[in-house]
Amino acid sequence: MVRVVVPSMLAAQADGRQRFDVEANTVGDALHALPVADLVLDERGELRRHVNVYVDGTDARESGGLACPLAGADEVRIVAMLSGG
Amino acid sequence: MAVLALVGTRKGLFLLTANDRRERWQVEGPLLDGWGVYHAVLDERDGTFYAAANHLVYGATVQRSTDGGKTWRRSQQIRLPEDSGLTVNATWQVQPGRPGEPGTMYLAGDPAFLSRSDDGGEAWEPNRGILEHPTRDRWPPSRGGLLLHSVQLDPSETERMYVAISGGGTFRTDDGGETWVPKNKDVEFDLVPDPYPEVGQCVHKLLLHPARPERLWQQNHCGVYRSDDRGDTWERLDGNGLPGPFGFTIMLDPGDPDVAVVIPEKAYEYHYTVNGLGVYRTQDGGETWDRMADGLPKQAWAAVVREASAFDSESLYFGTQSGSFFALTNGDRWVEGVRHLPPILSVEVTAWSG
Repeated sequence: MVRVVVPSMLAAQADGRQRFDVEANTVGDALHALPVADLVLDERGELRRHVNVYVDGTDARESGGLACPLAGADEVRIVAMLSGG
Repeated sequence: MAVLALVGTRKGLFLLTANDRRERWQVEGPLLDGWGVYHAVLDERDGTFYAAANHLVYGATVQRSTDGGKTWRRSQQIRLPEDSGLTVNATWQVQPGRPGEPGTMYLAGDPAFLSRSDDGGEAWEPNRGILEHPTRDRWPPSRGGLLLHSVQLDPSETERMYVAISGGGTFRTDDGGETWVPKNKDVEFDLVPDPYPEVGQCVHKLLLHPARPERLWQQNHCGVYRSDDRGDTWERLDGNGLPGPFGFTIMLDPGDPDVAVVIPEKAYEYHYTVNGLGVYRTQDGGETWDRMADGLPKQAWAAVVREASAFDSESLYFGTQSGSFFALTNGDRWVEGVRHLPPILSVEVTAWSG
């Protein structure tokens, strides 16, 4: 079981829920389990360009992206990265 | 009758209400807080609100509310077929179907797609005739993208509808969307060597007159045009007293097919209004245009985008990129009903009993 934390605009799209406890082997599994999966993954199933995912504080893109394993992980945190100032 | 305006902005949807004098407006919002609402509409068939809501991070969505905007449901993810090689960039317009087809909705977006829902906006199916149009490789993207808009249903002929594409031009179907015929004869496209191509024209907004559906009006990148034969031929009208050919939006009078109102902008490299906030009206089918100045600022460098105007049988309405909402009141006087909204992207109005 891993806890997924989403930012406030995603929580607003999920009946106000900001935390989700999901069974997942990978980051991709965890994101697909969310009621806002379509907002963090694009129509081809890739992580949206301005969405970052941190697994216990480490950027998932540096460790396999959606394939990043979650064995032993406690928290998956989704962060909206805005380009520019 | 009181009026409700759905005002889509860069940062959410606002509901504006006024009594029949339209002078004092109440503001509720933002709904869909933080979303860029490119268009929002109330479906008169069942009272559902629909919004084309986009976000830089979270992508393109359609959202709907059956409780007056208190709670919203997202449609299934908007997709284009994998074999098209295209993916959705934005949703631009969401349009209810005909009175006799409850649950049918149309969705227009970028890159130049038209989708249809038959379940009240939960699932959407892209129109293949548009996606695979034989002229598609001659549709040049505009600065805002390659976007389809101006879904217009002919009330007199259930199989006929129109869409417009910037850039691509006007297209008409007479068989319910199976095939689409370019309708751009005599419409100039002065950015290319052949200024009268079959397709490629940059239509900014297309409107069908509801009482005379064979009559179409368009504000084009290159002029204002009227067609009296369902788009088969077009007459250019901006040489007749308008300060310039360029603008985005257009408004009509449901009771008088000879009336049209445009808001010209200095040419496209500049993209702001001329003569202050200059709004121009024709009452003779485009032969002459007069400025409607009463109540509008004489010093202004505003911009009014494609969907940011509306009309009903009583009045006209528009919103600016500087967050001001204007309504026309008795005696042809404009009132700035609300100011300091986020940049306004869309306006739709409906009679309201609240």
